[in-house]
Amino acid sequence: MTTAHTAPLNLARRHFLRDCGIGLGKVALATLLTDAFRSPSSAAEKGPALLAPKQPHFPGKAKRVIHLFMAGAPSQLDLFDYKPKLVEYEGKPIPPSIIGGQRYAFIRADAAVLGPRFKFAKHGKSGAELSEVMPHLAKVVDELCIIRSMHTDQFNHAPAQIFFNTGFAQPGRPSLGSWTIYGLGAETRDLPAFVVMSTGSGISGGSANWSSGFLPTIYNGVRLRNQGDPILNVSRPKGVDAQMQKDSFDLIGALNQKRLESEGDPEIATRIASYEMAHRLQTSAPELMDLKKEPKKVLDLYGADPDKPSFARACLLARRLLQRGVRFINIYHEGWDAHSDVAGNLRQNCGVTDRACAALLLDLKQHGMLDDTLVIWGGEFGRTPMVETNPALGRSLGRDHHPQAFTMWMAGGGVKAGMTYGATDDLGFHVAEKAVHVHDLQATILHLLGFDHEKLTYRFAGRDFRLTDIHGKVVKDLLA
Amino acid sequence: MRTLALSLCLLLGGVARAADRDFFNAEVRPILAQHCFKCHGPDEKTRKAKLRLDLREEALKPGRSGSPALVPGKPEQSELIKRILSSDETEVMPPPSTKSPLSSAQKEILKRWVRDGAEYHPHWAFVAPKQAPLPAVKNSKWPRKAIDSFILARLEAEGLQPSAQADRYTLIRRLSFDLIGLPPTPEEVDAFINDKAPDAYEKVVDRLLASPRYGERWARRWLDLARYADTNGYEKDRPRSIWPYRDWVINALNADMPFDQFTIEQIAGDLLPNATQQQRIATGFHRNTMTNEEGGIDPLEFRFYSMTDRVGTTGTVWLGMTLVCAQCHSHKYDPIAQKEYYQLMAFLNNADEPEMEVVQPELARKRHELEQKIDDLLQHIPTRYPVKAAQAKETLGAQAHRQAFETAMAKWYTEKAKNLAQWTPLTPIEAKANVPLLTVLPDRSIFASGDQTKSDTYTLTFNNDLQGITALRVEALPDPRLPKGGPGRVYYEGPPGDFTLCDFRLEVGGKKVKLAKASHSFASGGFTADKAIDDNLQTGWSINGGQGRAHNIVFNLAEPLRAGGTFTIKMLFARHYSAGLGRFRVSVTTQQKEAVAVDLPSEIETLLHLPPGERSPEQKRLLERHFILNAPEMAALRKEIETLRRQMPAYPTTLVMQERPPENPRQTFVHRRGEFLQPTERVEPGVPAFLPPLPDGAPRNRLTLARWLVAKDNPLVGRVTMNRQWAAFFGRGIVRTTQDFGFQGEAPSHPELLDWLAVELVRQGWSMKKMHKLIVMSATYQQVSRVTPEVLKKDPENKLLGRGPRVRLEAEMIRDAALSVSGLLSPKMGGPSVFPPQPPGVTTEGAYGRLDWKVSQGEDRYRRGLYTFMKRTAPYAMFATFDGPSGEVCLARREITNTPLQALTMLNDVALVEAAQALGRLTAKQATPVEKRVDELFRRVLTRPPSAEERTLLVQFYQKQKARLERKELDASALAGPGEGDVNERAAWTALARVLFNLDEAIIKG
Repeated sequence: MTTAHTAPLNLARRHFLRDCGIGLGKVALATLLTDAFRSPSSAAEKGPALLAPKQPHFPGKAKRVIHLFMAGAPSQLDLFDYKPKLVEYEGKPIPPSIIGGQRYAFIRADAAVLGPRFKFAKHGKSGAELSEVMPHLAKVVDELCIIRSMHTDQFNHAPAQIFFNTGFAQPGRPSLGSWTIYGLGAETRDLPAFVVMSTGSGISGGSANWSSGFLPTIYNGVRLRNQGDPILNVSRPKGVDAQMQKDSFDLIGALNQKRLESEGDPEIATRIASYEMAHRLQTSAPELMDLKKEPKKVLDLYGADPDKPSFARACLLARRLLQRGVRFINIYHEGWDAHSDVAGNLRQNCGVTDRACAALLLDLKQHGMLDDTLVIWGGEFGRTPMVETNPALGRSLGRDHHPQAFTMWMAGGGVKAGMTYGATDDLGFHVAEKAVHVHDLQATILHLLGFDHEKLTYRFAGRDFRLTDIHGKVVKDLLA
Repeated sequence: MRTLALSLCLLLGGVARAADRDFFNAEVRPILAQHCFKCHGPDEKTRKAKLRLDLREEALKPGRSGSPALVPGKPEQSELIKRILSSDETEVMPPPSTKSPLSSAQKEILKRWVRDGAEYHPHWAFVAPKQAPLPAVKNSKWPRKAIDSFILARLEAEGLQPSAQADRYTLIRRLSFDLIGLPPTPEEVDAFINDKAPDAYEKVVDRLLASPRYGERWARRWLDLARYADTNGYEKDRPRSIWPYRDWVINALNADMPFDQFTIEQIAGDLLPNATQQQRIATGFHRNTMTNEEGGIDPLEFRFYSMTDRVGTTGTVWLGMTLVCAQCHSHKYDPIAQKEYYQLMAFLNNADEPEMEVVQPELARKRHELEQKIDDLLQHIPTRYPVKAAQAKETLGAQAHRQAFETAMAKWYTEKAKNLAQWTPLTPIEAKANVPLLTVLPDRSIFASGDQTKSDTYTLTFNNDLQGITALRVEALPDPRLPKGGPGRVYYEGPPGDFTLCDFRLEVGGKKVKLAKASHSFASGGFTADKAIDDNLQTGWSINGGQGRAHNIVFNLAEPLRAGGTFTIKMLFARHYSAGLGRFRVSVTTQQKEAVAVDLPSEIETLLHLPPGERSPEQKRLLERHFILNAPEMAALRKEIETLRRQMPAYPTTLVMQERPPENPRQTFVHRRGEFLQPTERVEPGVPAFLPPLPDGAPRNRLTLARWLVAKDNPLVGRVTMNRQWAAFFGRGIVRTTQDFGFQGEAPSHPELLDWLAVELVRQGWSMKKMHKLIVMSATYQQVSRVTPEVLKKDPENKLLGRGPRVRLEAEMIRDAALSVSGLLSPKMGGPSVFPPQPPGVTTEGAYGRLDWKVSQGEDRYRRGLYTFMKRTAPYAMFATFDGPSGEVCLARREITNTPLQALTMLNDVALVEAAQALGRLTAKQATPVEKRVDELFRRVLTRPPSAEERTLLVQFYQKQKARLERKELDASALAGPGEGDVNERAAWTALARVLFNLDEAIIKG
């Protein structure tokens, strides 16, 4: 999108790049002399050049990612992982030999078993088993690759969420989305490459979940907000109309251009480019958010009210973002932390997410985007087969945090559709078959994007860091 | 392609030069470190084939295959060379599985090294720095300071020339931002421009170094390292009070506290002889670690994470070493064994982490005044006690009131005394707990200290001497050492100072004795006394709302206890957070009548047992006071006292380190794979072997560690510190990897200069101000920053410093500058953090620990950026956009990015808009011609006057907007904001000011 007023600036920049002999030469040098994914060192690379599209290690099937992060941790035992034995054992404690030394957040290790709260049935050609609270997902179940054998290291929300996103339980490392943009660059300059949305209650892990860590901050996830400007400060101040904004951009551009000519610092050229992009963002953001043009049947498919922030609206926005070249999207829906009344919690949360999750898959498919868009659904850990009851805290029929086993699903983007992978033991306590650790899933996601997770590294504090730390194996069985 | 060829020449040139200096360290060691040491380095656990290549004598020994890895002078006989050249996949090193093959250039380097004798030299950074003689230079007129000789010699060697001195506008702008973080005022600029004295520049430097703003600017950089923030981090991310530490840093820097002392006070101020309050505040440095208050965490696990952060941060800040790498295994590249990592941790690990009241003289005076007033009232209240009107007339005034008062008091106490039992306090013969340390105090009370878990059990054994015990009482006692004065130990997640007694049991001979009943003097909500004996471990007795006061619980036995032997009581405190009792006393009674808990402190209770005639005047006074302050019928009369008490200003608090008592040292262990749950070998405090040893006989505590860090023979501290200072002025360090001086760090661009600076720092008495002056007085610093295409080709990153620094301002400086030039900036220093305006929802939307960002009013709206409240999980939006820190980890170097979101912030953010409006108001007020006003505005924002061309463009813009405003095409009052005078004028100038703020030059120190 090159509009009349930005053209002279573009021209000027090209002129500068040509005459001063930087740009191409330096980029080429950087690429030749260092691994393409080493730290940027030259000034000109610090700006938008860091977002230049890059080739991954090998062609990836997934070009884009939507991560539906069900923060708070949904109960796999009442949604995906049906365990009739739990009915049989209900009310009795789990043998200590199974529990081992596991520490719990709230319950005591001798808490009694709680049976599944819902009816389960098999769906689709694949015959995947889902509980009754996800009727919409049941209809698209053949698109899913359900992993019942997930496990993690962390049993508290904030560390577990940060661990899932960054491969490390403490804040400070880059998130999956940041690594992705660092590795692939951006497809659009009109919108941020890595966008974060959230609905439900507050997110335990906070901004560390989408932080760029020690990568340049340009790889941070940018929040698309529910209140105020969708992107911070994207709208003009009161009293400034479009004409004045344009006049201002023009004058800023012209004066920066003069400065560039006199000072010769390529960073000024980057600044000029940043202002051009900012100007475009001011148009592209409102256009993105305007759902009025979406056909009614699409809005109905998602169950989205165009003017009211909701998980459904976020899913629809996600599809629109992808269409506009955004590469990585996080949608957090926090609220699955069912320490009490797990059944009510799931009814409520599935009530606001189930339709939209299914709609997103259908909609992406209709747009021909599902094949190269990876959709990920899941929480930071699972929930206990044991009941949480605590009169002092007013809790009953809940489930506590459970890192040993949980369920996630993925769809599109090169994963095997219509598959249920891995299994837990009879009580749903431990993974019994084909365990997938969080680091393994991270390695697999990077693989789908075209990366060898051991080679997507960044040198910081004397070490080449990577998302999977020193762990992780690609789960080949999940690949289409 | 021409560019590429040239740059390659430059690079290869670098190789040749390095060879002259130290071929091994410059070229060989980095290859070995990156490709070999992982399996053949210091880490004994991952060492393959028992081959160690980081030590020469080891590498010369015959290996498994019989031939030594290195045969000096004979590459063809060296196994290492054979292996790296091998084309056999099973032979070649590094193995293909590592995915890091050697390039042919690297292979050549290794071959050449072996051919030349395979000499090893110690790593440059581990050898004590020396000041080398100044290098000879051709252009002998250019250098002003020693620094310049080093810079020029290198430039000349590269065939480059330094740049000319910058003009005075540029110089004063650069100096002001660098030294005080603010732009110069037009008056300051004029004074400098017009000062013909030869020392005009130096006078500016001295003025800025003496400004209190200096401490604020440099504190911000230190706070990045200290990972300072105003919240606890993680999920709940609740506010904390540690700003007195931030103020300590500002004051220390303004006072030019020598860097060694600055270090010692922050690491171990509490251990200094007769430590002052300020020295204790300084230990907040290592209290800036995060605290996870998420329900259900294991507090000791997160304390362990704090400890790893402390070790890592200490390493980064004072040693420039990546100690964190040795948490899980011995360092792969640097000579730090895993055990040594935990030995360093052991120094820091032996501290408790209390919250300390900061006694401020002014507040103390105010408190004293109020206390005196209260005392006064307490004395006079008895004489104001209401009496029946008739009676008052008959008797003599005050006397009658007093009598009535005493009658009422006697009645109240008689009523209370009815329920009093004769309690006998007992001293346990043994007091134990799972983790906490229980100490018996002279008043027979028991104090719990040390670490706590989510499930603490106190076990107390007493001699069972009294015949027929019918009830037991536990008094929960306040203590200033406890959070909020106790009596409980809750310090995170739950209400501070509370506790929850989940289970209380009495045992004789290992058998549970039946308890019939329990009563409390005070309880919060449903957490009543009976819950401590209901056999449900999830319920219990707690006292939230009654912190800072004494409470008690009484347990009645089903049957009187027969005397003999011992009895044991077990108290369980188990919630989803640590909830132990901090101080308590156990008493028993043998009375037949059923004892109940009475809401009376034990001192008062004791007095009530005395016959009234035997009470001393002081005892009488105590009773009187208790009556006045507690009896319901005194409510009206004590109202005034309560009002005064509410006015009593609380001292601010701050987080400090406090060494543990010798009787309860914390043990430190090596943790297998760095995991909290896998402690193995116990270690004593110690320092890594590659660094100088501790002085003989020095106690192994934090103070010794602190002194060791800044000991004269520490080869790292001076270099690391001066490198950070250099980076602050020039945008990059002499060592680019400011946080890593180990083998994996980048080599210094000017090693002799770095060493010279490191030695000079000590010679100058560790004075930062002197070192800063030295740097800014150099010709190197004063060069123009203009970039010519030629220079850009030869030295794109300005590594060689053939031109002046041109760096984007730090986040806080950008806002401070806008506030400063628009006259809004408040000069107020210190105090609690403030909440300047920012877009809505930043700290609430999607944040678990929501913080209502209530915008500060008055001058607090416009304080310097470093006083802005730092919320870790949702930092102040503008600062985050401009690469500001979150305070979650130690940050040795901020990234500098250049993004569209920054442009949106500069254009549209409320803080910038307000500054533009203020500048609009100022400019509209002037009565000078438009051109003059444009000049003035331009100079305020950009320091220099505009060129004619710039002026024309700006005037045109102003006039165009003004015309549109006058035609009512724009909403002038919305644009101009509040203010007086012609609104169109103000609006048009606001629009122009906004443009100026958005120029690249406005956020650059050039």
